[in-house]
Amino acid sequence: MSSTQWAAIALILFVVGVGIGYMAAPKGAAPAQCPPCECPPCQPQAAPQYKAAFIYIGPIGDYGWTHEHEMARRAVQEMFPWLNTTYIESVPPDQAEGKMEELISEGYNIIFTTSFDYMDPTINEAKKHSDVFFFHCSGYKRWKNSGTYFADFYQLYYLNGLMAGALTRTGKVGYVAAFTIPEVVRHINAFAIGVHEVNPDAVVLVREIGAWYNPDLAADAAESLISEGVDVLAFTEDSPTVLQVAQQHHDRGERVLAFGHYSPMKQYGPDVCVSGQIAHWDRILEDILAKIYSGVYTTQNLENVDYWWKLKEGAVELGCADNEPINPIFIDELRQVHVNETVLLPNGTVLENPDVYKLVMARMIQMGVVWHPDTGTYTFTNDECFDPFTGPLYDNQGHLMAPEGQRLGHDALWTMQWWYQNVQGPPLGGG
Amino acid sequence: MQAELISSVLWIGLRSGTPLLLATVGEIYAERSGILNLGIEGMMIIGAFTAFAVGQATSSPWLAMAAAAAAGLAASLIHAFISIHLRGNQVVSGLALTMFGLGLTSVAGGTFVGAALPREARIIPSPLSEELAAIPVIGKALFDQDPFLYLSILISVLLWFVLYKTKLGIVIRSVGENPAAADALGVNVYAVRYACTALGGALAGMAGSYITLSLRPGWVENITAGRGWIAVALTIFALWDPLKAIAGSYLFGIVEAGTYNLQPLGFSQWLLNAIPYVLTVVILVAGATETMRKKMGAPAALGVPYVRGEK
Repeated sequence: MSSTQWAAIALILFVVGVGIGYMAAPKGAAPAQCPPCECPPCQPQAAPQYKAAFIYIGPIGDYGWTHEHEMARRAVQEMFPWLNTTYIESVPPDQAEGKMEELISEGYNIIFTTSFDYMDPTINEAKKHSDVFFFHCSGYKRWKNSGTYFADFYQLYYLNGLMAGALTRTGKVGYVAAFTIPEVVRHINAFAIGVHEVNPDAVVLVREIGAWYNPDLAADAAESLISEGVDVLAFTEDSPTVLQVAQQHHDRGERVLAFGHYSPMKQYGPDVCVSGQIAHWDRILEDILAKIYSGVYTTQNLENVDYWWKLKEGAVELGCADNEPINPIFIDELRQVHVNETVLLPNGTVLENPDVYKLVMARMIQMGVVWHPDTGTYTFTNDECFDPFTGPLYDNQGHLMAPEGQRLGHDALWTMQWWYQNVQGPPLGGG
Repeated sequence: MQAELISSVLWIGLRSGTPLLLATVGEIYAERSGILNLGIEGMMIIGAFTAFAVGQATSSPWLAMAAAAAAGLAASLIHAFISIHLRGNQVVSGLALTMFGLGLTSVAGGTFVGAALPREARIIPSPLSEELAAIPVIGKALFDQDPFLYLSILISVLLWFVLYKTKLGIVIRSVGENPAAADALGVNVYAVRYACTALGGALAGMAGSYITLSLRPGWVENITAGRGWIAVALTIFALWDPLKAIAGSYLFGIVEAGTYNLQPLGFSQWLLNAIPYVLTVVILVAGATETMRKKMGAPAALGVPYVRGEK
């Protein structure tokens, strides 16, 4: 039976070869490579003092959440010559502690964990390794050497909602949600508040798919919403699928519009992508790493370090392409729709009955960002005088959740488990 | 309103079922000749990737599809060589092929992430005729699809005809049932098995190309999302019959498409997401026992390497 043995050996060699090939292949792009250079900055001056490792929940090829974290990692790697970085992708939460141990034993002394599900593993490791910096994205548990950070989209979802309310012709707006955890509920409600402000009769239909990254389920959910008459879609899922579905309908001559999510996704739906949300994690990482390097942060003082960055810090950007808050092909249509309200800008200007394009820009100014269409740039005023979650707010059962003029605080936003009045979604609160 | 809803569920269901159909029919041929190929998922994603790359470079969907078929065929030859020539364990080899395909496309696809497929390279459904497509409930699903979908039905019917109504079909089936007897009658068992495995690979590659060219035009890692495994189960579900595979694939597609319309009625998404897999598990379990397999008509020599002159 030597032939069977030969077959087994061939097979083993094949699998091993595939394995080696996979390991040896360059991981992603290669920012760490020096160009064949004489340039001085590329010469290793001193041994890098800091080694930062990133643990990702999904593949860097998702073109969503993990992809944007990876872009930020590459950006800070470029930015700081004293920094060495690495990453591990697609790490299930139950393996996170083991991976952190491995990385720490390899000498990594700053660990970034980029999923809510890594919260407890991160804290456990932080307690074990008091000389290592930990930063956990999207959680709320901290330790003396473990901080938290998050770039929040809810202001952008509100702005997207204003546009969705103006552009829907069926009065039905759809939302494909990964999970109905507080973060996503907050985003859906912010979106729904925007829709309601412009179009009080419109409803927001929500489908929950039960996965952060699952293009198939996202497509099924989007198609199901469209089959119920939805003509504008927003989503929380880590791929451009929902946008692609909208574009596919457009290609068949049907009007279905959508908003991008996380990455500049306009190329997936150039005719249907109205706007969206883009994350700039590098702004936050830059700040964290610079403060570690300069000694502002130590492994003793991170207990109260919580980055909750929004529009005014530049951690998030409106649009489905960089430096383009609204797809130009929709601006005229947005200018046709007027909203019966009065908006007071920080500089004293009063807008009466603004059209939706003006309203979006005005709200953005009220949240600390001024867009200059002539130069295609933003300026930041760090002045936030408006928040979408300002009362009166009713849930979809008719309960008053915030009285007139009251603004929901951090905790109310981070534990949100109720639907805004115009939302038709799955039951919340573990139900 | 209700009719419209059912009409779009059927429409999407047929689209979702198309890659399943092609891959299943391909696997039916491989298994009918006695080769169990669990590498469908790998060949499919290699096809999907090739189609995306070629589609982006040439803007020609048909060229992309042909290239995907060729790539799937090439990948299947690895499995054919190991299982036919080296008489290796077909389960292990097939699994290795799946892992190979997923790993290779994940590495090679790094630069494609974020790139969209140009419009000309996509296959877009359009009505055969406005009147037929306007028939309530079934009009859209039957007469408002893309040419690739009709082609896949045509291929399946044709392959059914070959398998059951021609001498070639008898030869293929006999090789899967009793290769020694077929060999004694002068059939080249190795050639038939190579050809059938290669056909299976080409169809799996085409199935993958439908995903990137029509169903989800773009590239993300793991874009086939387990469809190859569903095809393995569907092969059993269809009792190794291409015509039944048409019904099975579309049933799966429609179930997948319809689940989210049940969510507003209070069904949890966890339950809904599980339905296709529960179906798969039930079929696989049913097909797992020897007596059941015999009863269902599984090829008797399935997964058994053929050695000339050995008993």
